[in-house]
Amino acid sequence: MDGIHDLGGKEGYGPVPVTEGDAPFAHDWEQRMWGLAREGICPSMTIDWFRHGLELMVPGDYLTFSYFQKWATNYLMLMVDAGQITLEELERGYVLEPADPARTKTVDQIVEQVRRACTDFSVPEETPAHFAVGDTVRTLRQINHNHTRLPAYARDCVGEVIAHHGSHLFPDEGAHDRHVGQHLYTVSFSAQELWGDDANPRDTVTLELWESYLVPA
Amino acid sequence: MSTFDSKHAAHLHRHIHSHVPSDPALRVKALESLAVEKGLISSETIDAWVEAYSEHIGPMRGAKVVARAWVDPGFKTRLLADATEAIKEFGFEGNATGHLKAVENTDAQHNMVVCTLCSCYPFSILGMSPAWYKSAAYRARAVREPRTVLAEFGVNLPEEVAVRVWDSTAELRYLVVPQRPAGTDDWDEDRLSGIVTRNSMIGTDRVLKAGGA
Repeated sequence: MDGIHDLGGKEGYGPVPVTEGDAPFAHDWEQRMWGLAREGICPSMTIDWFRHGLELMVPGDYLTFSYFQKWATNYLMLMVDAGQITLEELERGYVLEPADPARTKTVDQIVEQVRRACTDFSVPEETPAHFAVGDTVRTLRQINHNHTRLPAYARDCVGEVIAHHGSHLFPDEGAHDRHVGQHLYTVSFSAQELWGDDANPRDTVTLELWESYLVPA
Repeated sequence: MSTFDSKHAAHLHRHIHSHVPSDPALRVKALESLAVEKGLISSETIDAWVEAYSEHIGPMRGAKVVARAWVDPGFKTRLLADATEAIKEFGFEGNATGHLKAVENTDAQHNMVVCTLCSCYPFSILGMSPAWYKSAAYRARAVREPRTVLAEFGVNLPEEVAVRVWDSTAELRYLVVPQRPAGTDDWDEDRLSGIVTRNSMIGTDRVLKAGGA
């Protein structure tokens, strides 16, 4: 979707908060939000449904909320959507019929759980790849998927395939719980192709792009 | 079960926007209370996650990997060929590093990593990302004016050094391997890992300092 999240190349955001934004967490509640998210409190979602949920936030909130504030809001939505909590429970702040408490994990168990979360997003290749390393490709100008990973700034642009990764789960479908694979490539674009002749001719931007985002150039 | 229905999700977001206090601390508190009461997590487990990411999982892991690449050419070859496999030698594989690629800075090229669409980051090897990495300013500007952004980090790159910005649009994650600074020839791996900064592994720091480490 052409949403507020698609920030690449947008202007007017001012300086990067290099010093004041050096720490990963500024408040205790941000760390707790991170822990809640890592533990997988909405087990029926997919990673791309999570990302799509963020994209569907009220646009003004998306731009003014901090990262973990967005996450908290998105998880409330995701859990109501999944039927895990009701809007009434959310507005009341507690549940009427508590479940059995969850088992507590140790730090060592968490560290091991992170190690085991090394997820492979590749899928068996069912069709031959249309492109190869060295090919010149053009990205689509329009894409009308609810969720997509082709940013607006890189549409209708010509680049060079610099890597082929086999088939990976296609996020545009994964956002809707459909697990299908598509060939994935790393495509390099010159900064001048993306931003015009004033850009340094040596500079490049690379993106990972799925096959259906691309046509031969 | 999630509905995976975009219109329904947007409707719920508008409802939450209008009916739930926006104070983030309150929203997280509500989320934690509801998740605990539903038996999805215990508050002590959240404490354990906080400790895991402050004490065990962080940029010190990436620094160890970079230091080994500097002293062990065989490891460096394996790291650049398949970083996901190479970091298993440390047990650092895991969340968001199932498809990890290491990219090496040279005299002629500087690498810099961003995620313009969300804030993808290689958590199991660099820990939680700094707030600036998740800021709208960095996400918007890193791809368009990387040299200006680098200057804000104190990195003034000569015109003749190419910048390659890696926008993490898929499940590939990137680890920048900075250049080993001069004057560290007799340093061991442990001492070297002490001078590898987190920002240098994201690509917003370039010339590491041998002094004072």
